Amino acid sequence: MSRIPFVEERNGESIVRVPLTRGLGLTPVQAVLVLVGIVLLFGLPFFSGLVGLSWERLFRGILFGIAAVGLNLLLRHTELVSFGHAAFFGSGAYGVAVLAAHYDVSEGLLLLLGAVLIGTLVAIIIGYFVAGYVDIYFALLTLAFNQVMFATVFRSGFFNYNDGLQVRIGGDRPSLFGLEWTTLGYNLVLYYTTIVLLLVMLLGMWKLINSPFGRALDAIGQDRTRARFIGIPVERYVWISFTISGLYGAFAGGVYALLRLHVQPEPTLYVFVSGEILFMAILGGFTTLVGPLIGGIVLVYLLEAARFWVTYYHALTGLVLLAIVFFMPKGIVGSLPSIGAALAHRRHDPGLVREDIRGIAAAMRRAVDRAITTVRIIVFGVN
Amino acid sequence: MASELTMMSDSTAESESGGMERRTVLKAVGGSAIAVALAGCGELLEDEEDPLEEAEVPDEPIEAGLQTFLEGAPAVLGVQAEYGAETAVRRINENDGIAGRQIDLTVVEEGEEALENYQEFVEAGMDVTFGPISSGNHEAMVPEVNDQGVINVATDGTVTTLYEEDHPPEDNQYSFRFQNHDVMEALAAAVEATELLGADEIETYAGINPGYAFGFDEQELFSAGIEQLADAELVYEGFPDLGTDDMSTHIEEVNSAEPDVLFSSAWGGDATLLLEQGHGAGMFDNIELLVGPVLYGSANDLSEALVDGPIRSGSRNFYWDQPSVDRWDPGRELFEEVQEEYDVVPTAHFMSGYGAVTAWATAAEKAVRILGGWPEQEQLADILVNHGFYTPAGYHTMGPDHQGYSNAHFGELTWSDDLDAAILEDVNVYDPKNVSPPQGQTSRDWIADWD
Repeated sequence: MSRIPFVEERNGESIVRVPLTRGLGLTPVQAVLVLVGIVLLFGLPFFSGLVGLSWERLFRGILFGIAAVGLNLLLRHTELVSFGHAAFFGSGAYGVAVLAAHYDVSEGLLLLLGAVLIGTLVAIIIGYFVAGYVDIYFALLTLAFNQVMFATVFRSGFFNYNDGLQVRIGGDRPSLFGLEWTTLGYNLVLYYTTIVLLLVMLLGMWKLINSPFGRALDAIGQDRTRARFIGIPVERYVWISFTISGLYGAFAGGVYALLRLHVQPEPTLYVFVSGEILFMAILGGFTTLVGPLIGGIVLVYLLEAARFWVTYYHALTGLVLLAIVFFMPKGIVGSLPSIGAALAHRRHDPGLVREDIRGIAAAMRRAVDRAITTVRIIVFGVN
Repeated sequence: MASELTMMSDSTAESESGGMERRTVLKAVGGSAIAVALAGCGELLEDEEDPLEEAEVPDEPIEAGLQTFLEGAPAVLGVQAEYGAETAVRRINENDGIAGRQIDLTVVEEGEEALENYQEFVEAGMDVTFGPISSGNHEAMVPEVNDQGVINVATDGTVTTLYEEDHPPEDNQYSFRFQNHDVMEALAAAVEATELLGADEIETYAGINPGYAFGFDEQELFSAGIEQLADAELVYEGFPDLGTDDMSTHIEEVNSAEPDVLFSSAWGGDATLLLEQGHGAGMFDNIELLVGPVLYGSANDLSEALVDGPIRSGSRNFYWDQPSVDRWDPGRELFEEVQEEYDVVPTAHFMSGYGAVTAWATAAEKAVRILGGWPEQEQLADILVNHGFYTPAGYHTMGPDHQGYSNAHFGELTWSDDLDAAILEDVNVYDPKNVSPPQGQTSRDWIADWD
């Protein structure tokens, strides 16, 4: 086994080493899933059309997913629920828009860098004020900061009110790597740049949460007082994690602005967007690293596409989300291990499938019995 | 300048339209089935030869997408636009389509994703797209429309700077807007107030407008107009949130400032709230006149008590009873059709949808006649520029700036017992050239240049 590159034995199990990480590894199954994920991400623009999916919509989903990955650092480790993460997504988006519209910055990567700096600065400022709070107070404070930013932008001529700002310089889209591109070329270059940076950011986050700093965040999440007693500077660590979390949101917002080329307050800064980012993390599985990314893709796809399928698309979206919450409480990615284990059991013992069918049939029979009883009571007044 | 801003009187408009002969109507609207049907003159078409029969056009139906607000507060406007677009499509299809092609209309919720909806329409292979309602959404869409090259005729999204400053014709090929833009109704409101009260009698004015781009735009244009026309002084301007549940602080401010004229571009639930709380706080005892460009957009939600008082409302480029339906068959037939199909009073936003479809459909038919085959997007976009067409609301043109120009309507908001609904009386009709700048000039510069 040890002759296979990147694979080594640890405690009797095969572990796949990941480049640039020391001491970290994946199980073979995880390694295969990661490889499949990377291939899917890189191939997305080419095969999504074959299965009837819009890759630009998936791209937007990935962007919100990145913001959710950032938020998840707080949610999963410090156990803080932020209701204001649209503040950073919006700061990133408006960072790009303001630099393009008011300062004529025309290089996309410079705009993105500016957006990340602006969004991170906003996270540093808000983080300073909220780091000492927990539970509902933390949630409400983040929400309040978010709403203040939304109201300011919405009513400010500098940000062109709710009509928003174009990310175009003299009518042209920004350059990328100093070159002008066609519409498709621009979107593809932006996409692949984002994917490369996304992989770096995921790797960085993975290293971070498995570092001593990440463990300290876990300790803070479990019990702040104890964490303080063992010498962890709690507020400062929360502040730092809040800032890193905001950086992810700002990056996602910046790319969103470069992709959409027009930034308005409602889709980027409104508190509902914060709620959606939070929900993406839960939907995808907030106990995992990549779950929020998957949650972002699924929720954005549902929110944008369902209106073309059914009139009451909010109801459809709601039903799907209810189904996931009830039947997959750990989220999509979080539930994969238990689904995988259940399937493995059934592969070993096909008799279990028969029991499943019997169980479903029994449940349906009970439901029908109850319905008949109810109808009998309604019609005859007695059972 | 005041003399230049004369209005076309009610009686003039009616005598012109009421006196048209059959041949004149046919000639005026282009003499083809669709143009005549959409003008509301379908009964004149018997035995008419169809010159389009020889044209080579595809067999499959035209795929059209409309995005509008179907839910929430803005649905007051959006659903009317949907009814309007559906009515135009129904009339087209009942008259054998455009050069034989039926229209298949897909309607989708606009939400905040108008840009993404447009992209979806294009991916789905739509031949044309209509909507949106929101100006912010429209602003986001225009560059994308020009990148993708599939024509969009916006129903609304009426902020004046859009085509005047942000997307001038040299940068804009495929994006058009049917409904009058803000300057036309804001200036009509200023002229209306001046004509009614007299320029010398207006010393002060105030504004309560929704706190977003449209409200700011309308207030700025009205201020520019009324200050030029009457040299009036602004004593209060308030911008309550869109969809607010309380305007009382703004109303109290107006009560204490006692302006001669109050201007409000409140619409939907905001319009009814302003009237409700205004009556409750005795606001109409403290002002001489309330002028509101889109108050009548809430026609189906107003009650008799609310329309009491010195209130004049605009109705953009369409008021259903102008010319009077007693004397104008196309208007009467449209009103009856809307009542029968949807059981509502059609408002200006109905015409936003109806007119956007009509603009494109009549231009498409014109293009087929010229080309002898179905036009490319580029050809159709060229034909839409300076294209003139009729609806039951009268004659419309699509200007070189891609902005639709139609008459603007203003009348006294009152109650009809017969209809059991709010109506406009004593309606004044404003010629577009009197309430909008000449091509190539911005509204702000134009108003500032008045002597």
